Amino acid sequence: MKRILVLALCVFTLFGLAGCAQSANTPQTASKQDQPLVIATSADLGSIDPAVAMDNAAWKISYPAYDRLVNFKGSSTDVEPSLAKSWDISADGLTWTFHLRDDVKFADGTPLDAAAVKFSFDRLLKIKKGPSDAFPSLENVTAVDKNTVLFKLKTVFPPFLSTLATNGGGIVNPAVMKHEKDADMGQNWLATTTAGSGAYVLAEWVPEQSLKLTVNPNYWGSKPKLNTIIIKIVKDPSAQRMALEKGDVDVAENIPVDQLKELKKNPDLTIFETPSLMVDYVYLNTQKAGLKNPKVRQAISYAVDYQGIIDNVWQGNATQMRGPIPNGLWGYQPDLLQYSRNVEKAKALLQEAGVNNLTLNFMYSDRKPWWEQEAQIIQSNLADIGIKVNLQKIAYAAQREKIDKGDFDLTIGVWSPDYADPYMFMNYWFDSKNFGLAGNRAFYKNDEVDKLVRKAASINNQTERIELYKQAQQLIMQDAPYVFLVQKKYQLPMRKSVQGFVFNPMLEDMYNFQAMSK
Amino acid sequence: MELKYYRYFAKQYPLTVVGTLIILIIGLVALVAPLISPHDPLQLHLADRLLPPGHTYLLGTDEMGRDLFSRIIYGARLSLAAGVGIVSIAGIFGTVLGSVSGFLGGKTDLIIMRLMDIMLAFPSLVLALALSAALGPNFRNSILAVAVVKIPVYVRLVRGQTLSVKEKHFVKAAQTFGASKVWIISRHIIPNCLAPVMVQATLGIGEAILIAAALSFIGLGAQPPAAEWGAMVSVGRTYLLDQWWYATFPGIAIFITVVGFNLFGDGVRDLLDPRFRH
Repeated sequence: MKRILVLALCVFTLFGLAGCAQSANTPQTASKQDQPLVIATSADLGSIDPAVAMDNAAWKISYPAYDRLVNFKGSSTDVEPSLAKSWDISADGLTWTFHLRDDVKFADGTPLDAAAVKFSFDRLLKIKKGPSDAFPSLENVTAVDKNTVLFKLKTVFPPFLSTLATNGGGIVNPAVMKHEKDADMGQNWLATTTAGSGAYVLAEWVPEQSLKLTVNPNYWGSKPKLNTIIIKIVKDPSAQRMALEKGDVDVAENIPVDQLKELKKNPDLTIFETPSLMVDYVYLNTQKAGLKNPKVRQAISYAVDYQGIIDNVWQGNATQMRGPIPNGLWGYQPDLLQYSRNVEKAKALLQEAGVNNLTLNFMYSDRKPWWEQEAQIIQSNLADIGIKVNLQKIAYAAQREKIDKGDFDLTIGVWSPDYADPYMFMNYWFDSKNFGLAGNRAFYKNDEVDKLVRKAASINNQTERIELYKQAQQLIMQDAPYVFLVQKKYQLPMRKSVQGFVFNPMLEDMYNFQAMSK
Repeated sequence: MELKYYRYFAKQYPLTVVGTLIILIIGLVALVAPLISPHDPLQLHLADRLLPPGHTYLLGTDEMGRDLFSRIIYGARLSLAAGVGIVSIAGIFGTVLGSVSGFLGGKTDLIIMRLMDIMLAFPSLVLALALSAALGPNFRNSILAVAVVKIPVYVRLVRGQTLSVKEKHFVKAAQTFGASKVWIISRHIIPNCLAPVMVQATLGIGEAILIAAALSFIGLGAQPPAAEWGAMVSVGRTYLLDQWWYATFPGIAIFITVVGFNLFGDGVRDLLDPRFRH
């Protein structure tokens, strides 16, 4: 009897083990009149304050809740008028005058005027967190009259108009100051609520469970078709998939690319696919002794099996990067050097560098499900040229911290532009002022490259800028501070009933809710 | 005579025999893993990823195209090493601490036992998790973490035993002759406490393997690309809907091994512990 009990216990423990990470989310039932659009996502959000949030997941909520002076137009990299009807630029390119619409109200009914625009940008610059990095040259904002705002720049900054369409450019209701605590400009309050003029307002946020958006009754634009949008947190990708197939959710964000093939067989589902500007690349810490020599870094770039990664990890849903700027953004160089797997050449380069018995740590986290697979492939590729790689899996927060401090040999990340300008790649990744999380995560310093990208960021002439960035890219490819892996396709499985979704490559993981229907 | 005895034993304790056989087979598999595994457990065959069980890959392949059968065979090494390693470390430290605590008594006893009480107040998995995370996630640290958590069990057991042994005449006699404390503890106390420690250790191996697998499952134990069963179940879980074999076979391997050790441990207790003898 006792032994049977022991046996039974074993079985239970085992099932318990396997069930550890299953989420206990039960589907919500919706009333017939108001069918909400339900989106499944894998993690709860951080702060949704436009002056604080740096995460596309959080922008999913704040972007439709706030308006900006300009918006990205459809799926293109151009901008179109939004709160600003029109704008003028001074001859020296330093003064921008915006003429605002006069019919816009915040969700609480107060009118949105020039003072609110000035308040929002003053607040953004005063809080001085990540989103303010998009406005490096902004000197000050003045409200000329009720519907006219004047932006003064310190230096010419070519992507300025495009940066106004980023989430950080959202116009915040000055009434948030009523909720200010310890001079935080209402950061604490806005972290979990919205105070904008956008089509939707955040109605409810149950931590670790769901967020609910409802239509803003005072919205100035055309009335959205969807009354309610629910973002549901479903951690387990298998649970997301089952919920999508059953119809409990309409969109599932975190189904691994491996499983999309099976989902395509389901007649109720469709997989939204489009090229994106999101890239996936490996940072080589150029300050570490083993990686200081560009020849070693070139050898690593030659050792990686790009095609193997594309065919297997991505199932063909990605293309190999050609230099830092993704295909589809101006500044992309179709004839730039592209590394491909060449073990002999890699070995020869290592020999020239006089390196043998090199051991490197490859740090990654489970933030993106494909990183572990890519890390293992690269580990095996580098073993072929005699470099021993130890994999080191850590929490995402710890990974970010170590990247910021430069405490790694190799690590991996993704990057997608927030505004349509190669500045987002060239200046962030290679300017030696931006060491660490700011963008230069290879801790790469080349005086010539510094000079070129800084010059390119200070002139408005696009042809000249392309030429400068081209020269910089050629130098960079020889220095190989990153392993440029893949540019991925954007894929989003959804129910066929979902209509009107438009993907903009600047707004990765975000939705145009006001134009969607179900 | 001998044979007769075994036959009697097998009849009396059939499950113990099954358990012993399971352990012997798994031990043998671990020992000759390089000889019997058809593929290199770490070799990637990217073109052959996620294949179902079949001719070339007996139990199918994982998402990197590695042979699951070979990985499970090599996994036996890690799991056995984890199980035996954990109970050995915990058993040795626990026995020394327990006998010292029981024999010396007084303040030493008080301090050691209260420390053990504190450790026992935590659920063992939670404490192992915290320790493993603090030491840094890798396989060796996860074994150390679980071993530390398991020490109090042995300390209590040995201390209780020591309290009764130290009143025995031979101990008193040794003391009268002026034997040192170290000599008495190592020559008299510990040898007389070994039987229950052995029982506890064999019973504990199964649980130790399970906790070590659980740590790997949540990413605090063996790191990729190591072929560890718990880690394999963890990754395989994502593929469960389309590739059932990936998580299932390593799960079965854990199950069989743990059952084997538990049945064996039960038998050892029945043999060595007079209270359980029918």
